[in-house]
Amino acid sequence: MNQKNIVESHQLCIGYNNKSLTEPFDLKLKENCWYGVIGANGSGKTTFFKTLLAEIKPISGHLLIMDSEIGKHNCHIGYIPQERELNANILTSAYSIILSSYNAHRWGIPIYSKTLKKIASDIIDTVGASDFAHKPFNTLSGGQKKRIYLAQALISEAKLLLMDEPLADLDPQSKKGFLDALRKIHKQTTLSMMMISHDMHEIAQYLDAFIHFRDNKVHFCKEMPCIKESAYVGI
Amino acid sequence: MWEYDFMQNAFIAGTIIAFICGIISYFVIVRRIAFAAHALGHISLTGAAGAAIIGLSPMSGLLTLNIISAIIMGLIGDRIRKSDMAVGIVLTFFLGIGAYFLYLYQTGYAGSIMAIMFGDILSVSSRQIFIIVILTSIVLISLLIIMRPLLFSSIDPTIASSKRIPSEALSIYFLILLAITVSMACQIVGALLIFALLVGPGAAASECCDGFYSSLSVSIGVSILSVWLSLLISFYANLPTSFCITMLISFFYIISLFIKRLRMRHV
Repeated sequence: MNQKNIVESHQLCIGYNNKSLTEPFDLKLKENCWYGVIGANGSGKTTFFKTLLAEIKPISGHLLIMDSEIGKHNCHIGYIPQERELNANILTSAYSIILSSYNAHRWGIPIYSKTLKKIASDIIDTVGASDFAHKPFNTLSGGQKKRIYLAQALISEAKLLLMDEPLADLDPQSKKGFLDALRKIHKQTTLSMMMISHDMHEIAQYLDAFIHFRDNKVHFCKEMPCIKESAYVGI
Repeated sequence: MWEYDFMQNAFIAGTIIAFICGIISYFVIVRRIAFAAHALGHISLTGAAGAAIIGLSPMSGLLTLNIISAIIMGLIGDRIRKSDMAVGIVLTFFLGIGAYFLYLYQTGYAGSIMAIMFGDILSVSSRQIFIIVILTSIVLISLLIIMRPLLFSSIDPTIASSKRIPSEALSIYFLILLAITVSMACQIVGALLIFALLVGPGAAASECCDGFYSSLSVSIGVSILSVWLSLLISFYANLPTSFCITMLISFFYIISLFIKRLRMRHV
């Protein structure tokens, strides 16, 4: 099957405040693939995500997302940051938060049609959140919240999902639940997923390829050995 | 009661303002900018006093100054990422100028300025109703245009910025709508009690509701019901209207706390 390019970089150099974190690198990431992003703290993983989201400008080189300049297709990029603050009221359910995420970039009033509610219920099923989606968001556990974030990304019809350390702070059972949801999404949709994690040994078997930040260089490797060289990824 | 023109005017103006305050109040609570609503109320005094000195109507003065303050608050708040600090600084500056204006305008102090401080819904004229209708329409239409991204950027600011929703511009835009609403509401509850209509209904709704539209409906309902009941009570019991409004909104907030406790038991 001829897979489309979701992310394409040419001689891209990322960093911030004019300080480069990497040497120029070329990447071609395809749709319907699940990529692991690994590297030591401060090696540029999160900066790479922020560059993809056009929140930080590349130092040099070219970066295309879905064949357009960065920033043009952000409505189709789902993002689960490491830290976030949600201003949910005490009784605001996770379901209401998911609904409010639908087409949030468009002007006008929010319209919650029956079709949208049906789509939301299906997505909630997919991420395994049916049991708690109607409970107040603030009463959910860390693992449950992460699955709601997934549903939030999916309802916006994301084509690329960026996850920054989604497994951090989760107990083994929550990790398993979250990974099961990701595997199901990977199977059922053509969504491309990129995931920063320090627990790569737990998920390596599910991933299609790895983007490896090391010594100011960015490697793209399909095989495990390249990763195994690095002690800090935990393998 | 209905045979009196002033009561008819009070009901019309009160209902329109309560309706728009109910909507704005919901966003004030979700966006956590109650302090800005409070500060704009106080800054209204400076606007009204300034207008009185140069011989303009209090409404034109407070509307102009509130909009200028809202823009400054939005711009500084964005730059230093601490909106409370920005509001506090702008409030200090304009309240100081307001004190000086009042010093200059001591002869007229007791009249129009007092009306702005405590509100005077029973003296609303047909001309004022006309202005209120125009301003409410402007606020409502402007709000409907940005409602979806405004709601999302209020609830989930990090993801909103990742979707390139212009959160900072929306923030200033909403502060301007808040400034216009504050300018209108000043005439009913007064600058000192502005908290009542711009925070109370949204706070009550946020305590006992889940979804966006149910919260908005409760907020509008609490706001309108408080104004209507206050007008009735003040007419028959001869009590100040703004006092009744604040008491009733507090009462509704307490009821919402009970509803929240009941609902939380079933979670």
